[in-house]
Amino acid sequence: MKFLKPNNLTELFSSLPEISGKKYFLAGGTDINVQIKNGLIPEGTIIYINHLPELNGIRQDENEIFIGALTTYRELLNSNIIKKHLPFLIHSLKNFASPLLTTMSTLGGNIANGSPTNDVSPPLLVLEAELELISQNDSRRIPFQDFYLGYKKFALKENELIKGIWIKQNAAKGYQTFYKKVGSRKTLTIAKVSVAGLKRIDHGQITKIKIAVGSLNEYPRRLFQLENFLIGKDLDTLLEYDISEILKKEITPISDLRSEKEYRFQVCLNLITKFLSLNFVG
Amino acid sequence: MSSVRKIDAIGKLDGSRQFLDDYSYPDMLHGYIYYSQKDHAIIKSISFPKNFDFSQFVIVFAKDIPGKNIVPEPEQDQLFLAVYEATYYGQPIMGIAHKDKNILQQFVKGIKVEYDELKATTDIKECLENEKNHFGRELTIDHHQESEIAPDWIRQKHVYYTPHQEQAYLEPQGMIAKYDPETKSMFIKGTCQCPYFVKDAVETILGKTVQEVVVETSEGIGGAFGGKEDFPNVIAGITALLSFKSGKAVKIVLDRSDDIQITTKRHPARIEIETFTDPETKEIKKLDIDYRLDAGAFQTLSPVVLSRGVLHSYGGYNIPDVFVQGRLMHSNTPPNGAFRGFGAPQAFSAIEAHIDRIAHKMNQDPYQFRKNNLLRKGDEFPTTQKITEDHLFDCLERAVEISSYQDKLKDFAFWNKKHDNKKGIGIAIGYHGGGYTGNGEKILNSEIKIVIEKDATVKIYVINTDMGQGAHTTLAQMFAEAIGHPFSKTIVQIPNTKKSPDSGPTVASRTIYIIGNLLKKTALALKKEIGFSSLEKYVKENPAEFPKEIHNHFKQDPMVIFDEETYQGIAYKDYSWGVCITEIFFHAETYQIELIKSWNVFDVGRVVNEKIAVGQAEGGILQGLGYGTTEFFYKPGFGRMHGFTDYAMPTTLDLPEMIVEFIHTDETLAKGLGEIPMNFPAASVRNAFHNATGIFIDEYPLTPENVFKNLKSTD
Repeated sequence: MKFLKPNNLTELFSSLPEISGKKYFLAGGTDINVQIKNGLIPEGTIIYINHLPELNGIRQDENEIFIGALTTYRELLNSNIIKKHLPFLIHSLKNFASPLLTTMSTLGGNIANGSPTNDVSPPLLVLEAELELISQNDSRRIPFQDFYLGYKKFALKENELIKGIWIKQNAAKGYQTFYKKVGSRKTLTIAKVSVAGLKRIDHGQITKIKIAVGSLNEYPRRLFQLENFLIGKDLDTLLEYDISEILKKEITPISDLRSEKEYRFQVCLNLITKFLSLNFVG
Repeated sequence: MSSVRKIDAIGKLDGSRQFLDDYSYPDMLHGYIYYSQKDHAIIKSISFPKNFDFSQFVIVFAKDIPGKNIVPEPEQDQLFLAVYEATYYGQPIMGIAHKDKNILQQFVKGIKVEYDELKATTDIKECLENEKNHFGRELTIDHHQESEIAPDWIRQKHVYYTPHQEQAYLEPQGMIAKYDPETKSMFIKGTCQCPYFVKDAVETILGKTVQEVVVETSEGIGGAFGGKEDFPNVIAGITALLSFKSGKAVKIVLDRSDDIQITTKRHPARIEIETFTDPETKEIKKLDIDYRLDAGAFQTLSPVVLSRGVLHSYGGYNIPDVFVQGRLMHSNTPPNGAFRGFGAPQAFSAIEAHIDRIAHKMNQDPYQFRKNNLLRKGDEFPTTQKITEDHLFDCLERAVEISSYQDKLKDFAFWNKKHDNKKGIGIAIGYHGGGYTGNGEKILNSEIKIVIEKDATVKIYVINTDMGQGAHTTLAQMFAEAIGHPFSKTIVQIPNTKKSPDSGPTVASRTIYIIGNLLKKTALALKKEIGFSSLEKYVKENPAEFPKEIHNHFKQDPMVIFDEETYQGIAYKDYSWGVCITEIFFHAETYQIELIKSWNVFDVGRVVNEKIAVGQAEGGILQGLGYGTTEFFYKPGFGRMHGFTDYAMPTTLDLPEMIVEFIHTDETLAKGLGEIPMNFPAASVRNAFHNATGIFIDEYPLTPENVFKNLKSTD
């Protein structure tokens, strides 16, 4: 295994084409170090980018907030910009992990690691975040919802990486927000189910709705079919059966060492029901 | 009850205290235990990677053992190193050492073992349900009164299951062995609870080839919880063998993942309970228990766990007709071993769950029903041992009072009618026998040594280790307080088998109870014999008498007689008593049980150091709550866990508010404390869940998935 530490972005991009074999970007390293130790990365090049200032920092312009890919969770949680404009994001991530992990791990690293259970994706999905991707001569923006293509498969081109996350300042404004992560304990836990939601209800009618889930598919995703079904509906006409039938098409929970697929499905349904302030339970 | 600060507190905060991996010796090699990757297989061949300088490695197999390839345990059936056949995943096959840890790791990765796989039992239920897996040993407590079963007595028969539990000590297992070929002596430094057990193990594997084996513990031992009672024997044996073969110091410290996979766990249990209860008097008339433990691939010390398990299986109740059968079952999994409670947490998790079932059937609240059947002064255990104090009753009354148990029962019933989420409160009670079971303490014949130096420093030599539980603080305190000497000049020495006499293993809630009280007795006798008012002054005035060395042995009360065949007599001279009441909040959407508050009342006799005692109790309660709610190690279809990613112990955020109260602290005797807090929390949560939802769950832990499955099946 090789190790590379470029001094800046220019140096990084000029050296990337010369590296043969698999490339792994170390942006925080809280997961990749475990993978290395467990022998999951037998060969290839580890490219250390943790120190690159171009990928760091939280800024705001007129309408948008930019969160650099190397922003750590600690920095995000302490950011006055985020606290002011996106308290929903803080609320969603406050029990994210241990102080050790929040200090080391980065948002970009978490996203690009591609774990189906990652905690940051569901809130970013309902906030309709965009990712800025950069390569040697190019920079582009894509909706975050288009980033995952499959289990650990990404809409990244060769030698392209995440520069940062763009979120509209008013992304959650005027919405009722919801976030719930269910793990085996209150913190330091991997999600069994996570649900994030934004909604607007007008006279008992759903006028706007965004729902995203984690740990229920091969990657975190928005539930567009369910949203389309719910939009325009009167809350008191909704039936649990209908929501459940759509969910069956949109989520594919599995059983593993951590949890059971039946449990995951039911909890997801219960949480969405709770988010919609419906009460189907007897 | 003076709360002297723990002697190790500062050293652990500033990092100066030395744990095993902090020690190093010149030319020291790093060792690794290579273990079977199959549950049951013939080892056909082993091939080593080619691209290494083979001469730089030291490798030991079973054939290199000059002594006996048997780990000395109560049942001598475990091999140090597998011969031809591996009977569980994790069974050591060989030891390998090299001076460079990285090269060693790469070499180990390249080793290929060819196996012929054989049929294996790895599923807990498959092991416990099938009586053919029985190891052959059977314990029975027969207190049959041959009473006629009245036709109106209510019969209830249920099976309860408890899971594995990982000790999760902070510091993983480790040993250093340093062989001196000139003197043929072997020095062992280890993180362990029982240095004399380790000495025995090393002497066994090396046989007569060594003249002397000395075992010393590291300065700091980072937790043990029973996990460092038995497994250190295995790792010490292999480390010593590597050192013996290489003539160099060898250190083995297990990686966390290896530690979790190959070391002992708490035994999973299947406990079947049948009772007959008189509906008129609401008295339990007859109790039958079938208590089975999954011992793993070898029995090792499981017979002793089984023994304590059956002696705690009937709970704190006065039942005229009792029959208990205890058995060890075989599986192809690593041998299960010692863990805080030693068979008792399994026992109380079952009997206390069953008691709530009967109470429910009798239409009586769980507290009233317990009180109605409680073991009171003058009653006797099924072993015929007489109960001489009413302290279980006192614990129960106090816990019910401080928790407002009865008010809460009413309030919650009302609240629950209107809400999908539910509130519940549960109760579990019992006891824990202090010290070795039966005649054990007599056989141990523990010895202590005191040296009073010329400067009036008192050095206490005992082999009992301080693994974080504060034993060396409390032991010094007991001697110092009894003799009236400054605590700062009373120092327990690092346990070393050459210097410290065999005061017995650091297990069974016996360290303060047996050794502490022996130190106290020795101090008082010394004071009386010499007749001084201040030891310091006396030493100054009579320098010729010092240094002075004093030895003393523990003498068991001659009235303590236990028949190991019939299990009749005095199983434990002194019992600690305890009650745990836990309040929960059940989240209907996620099926999670949130722990709200836990009230715990104990009688452990005199409390020597209140802060340490409360700390011990809180730790045990948390460990018990995790046992009842989140911790499991094996899942059918998915196998065993490999680390802490999935093995979920509660964190501080999951903690309920904890109330710990000790009663009868004015007694002169300090009784066992280490294990009892672990015995009841699991059952208290399970009973609280029933109170909240009306559903009995008989399989621990009560994970949300387990709760969901049970709720669905009762729909």
